[in-house]
Amino acid sequence: MLARRLPSILPDLTFEEALEITKIHSISGLLSENVPFIFKRPFRSPHHTITETSLVGGGRIPKPGEISLAHYGVLFLDELPEFNKSTLEVLRGPLEDKTVTISRVDFSTTYPCNFMFIASMNPCPCGYYGSTEKQCTCKEEQIQKYIHKISGPLLDRIDIHIEVESVNYQKLGNTSPSESSNEIRKRVNKARHIQLNRYKDYHIFSNSELTPALISKYCKLSPKSKQILETAFNRLGLSARAYSRILKVARTIADLDNSQHIQTHHLAEAIQYRSLDRKYWHR
Amino acid sequence: MLSIVKSIALHGLQGYLVNIQVDISAGMPAFEIVGLPDTSIRESKERVKTAIRNSTLEFLSRRIVVNLAPASTKKEGSIFDLPIAIGILIATGVISDKPLDNTIFIGELSLDGSIGSVKGVLPICIEAKRLGIKRIILPKANAKEACIIKEVEMIPVSDLNEIISYLNGDIIIPKEKTLEFTSNINSDYEFDFSEVKGQENVKRALEIAAAGGHNCLLIRKSWLWENNASTQTPLYFTRFNF
Repeated sequence: MLARRLPSILPDLTFEEALEITKIHSISGLLSENVPFIFKRPFRSPHHTITETSLVGGGRIPKPGEISLAHYGVLFLDELPEFNKSTLEVLRGPLEDKTVTISRVDFSTTYPCNFMFIASMNPCPCGYYGSTEKQCTCKEEQIQKYIHKISGPLLDRIDIHIEVESVNYQKLGNTSPSESSNEIRKRVNKARHIQLNRYKDYHIFSNSELTPALISKYCKLSPKSKQILETAFNRLGLSARAYSRILKVARTIADLDNSQHIQTHHLAEAIQYRSLDRKYWHR
Repeated sequence: MLSIVKSIALHGLQGYLVNIQVDISAGMPAFEIVGLPDTSIRESKERVKTAIRNSTLEFLSRRIVVNLAPASTKKEGSIFDLPIAIGILIATGVISDKPLDNTIFIGELSLDGSIGSVKGVLPICIEAKRLGIKRIILPKANAKEACIIKEVEMIPVSDLNEIISYLNGDIIIPKEKTLEFTSNINSDYEFDFSEVKGQENVKRALEIAAAGGHNCLLIRKSWLWENNASTQTPLYFTRFNF
């Protein structure tokens, strides 16, 4: 699986990040003598039967949930539409605020939950919708019902949408080595270092944490790029939230390119990652 | 006689100082814990009493009152077992009464007097550092977790008799070595991207997501993709030695 390989390319932790992660693991009782400190970014992949409480945290005396355990790491939800709809909707606030406040009768507390949300899904219940190899057997209503388990607001909070295409037989048999995770991680680390240096006065670590004020400061566009964004905005029917997320992704692509300014092709690539919701959700 | 021992409790990720006040007076034998303890703290009465007896010490039949100050905040967990026991032992004169203002005690007692691990040691140590505490006496099992905090002396203890001799100055327990943080320790991951054939666009998307911490949704387009994943399953089987 591609998503399971994600931990191997995640950027190295800073001490502050590692301390925060270890604090949460400490109160959850997940540390041991063998693992006294967390040096790697966490990768949490709960099964789709998970409840709301165990996802965001809770209990009589609130304990951190999966989203807090994935702080500064990855929360991977496989087969996203199989999750309970109400369970998915509780992610809305935490995805935006990057903290979650849990209130109970005797106790109320706030846990950080700045995680990368990675999800994977099939486009329809049978899994063949849009496939060129086999006929999809789902009824139109079934597909609609399935795909609309992911609500618009939740979809809006996901910066990058990508189709995973099938690999044909020739490619499977191809033994020429692909790029290894170590090489990719070197590029990722380099881009992350640029971000760490740029934001060192703001106590944030990555482009995804940019506030609106910082976006206008660091994601400046050329007139030509502005025009491209405007056209895309109108044609794809994007929301204000999608707008800021596109800029953030474009900033990251520029950082990977070691470019100080966002160029037109950086922006174009970022916009392209937001074009799928139209294909599947607004047919 | 009155004794006061310090400990730190947690409210979410935030620690706060708790004074454990133990008073032993003449009267009907009793053992009361006040200051909004929850069930696990109320049960610590039995653990403390039995642990002291099984450490070949006498548990006095007196009137013992323990107050967990601030008394208005609800407290939970087995973390106060050790400070309560230490408070009682100071009040009864087993441990010589020396100022322990700069010392924090945390730990759970088992019935034989050994000290077991507790949850949330790292945030406690961070709060201790903030408060300017000099020394933390904590379970041996938690010592490694705490030693990332360099400014505070961490004393790992394994049972009640050991800590009594330590506090009376009979033995010296070496403080735990501090742990240095290294950002990239090793790069051995179970799966590697070099095993994935093709799918350059997805790799690129995941690279961007990893670099900027962005969210990402992968939509599978066809069944053959599933087949690709299944070629990796033997790894799951060879990983374990049955």
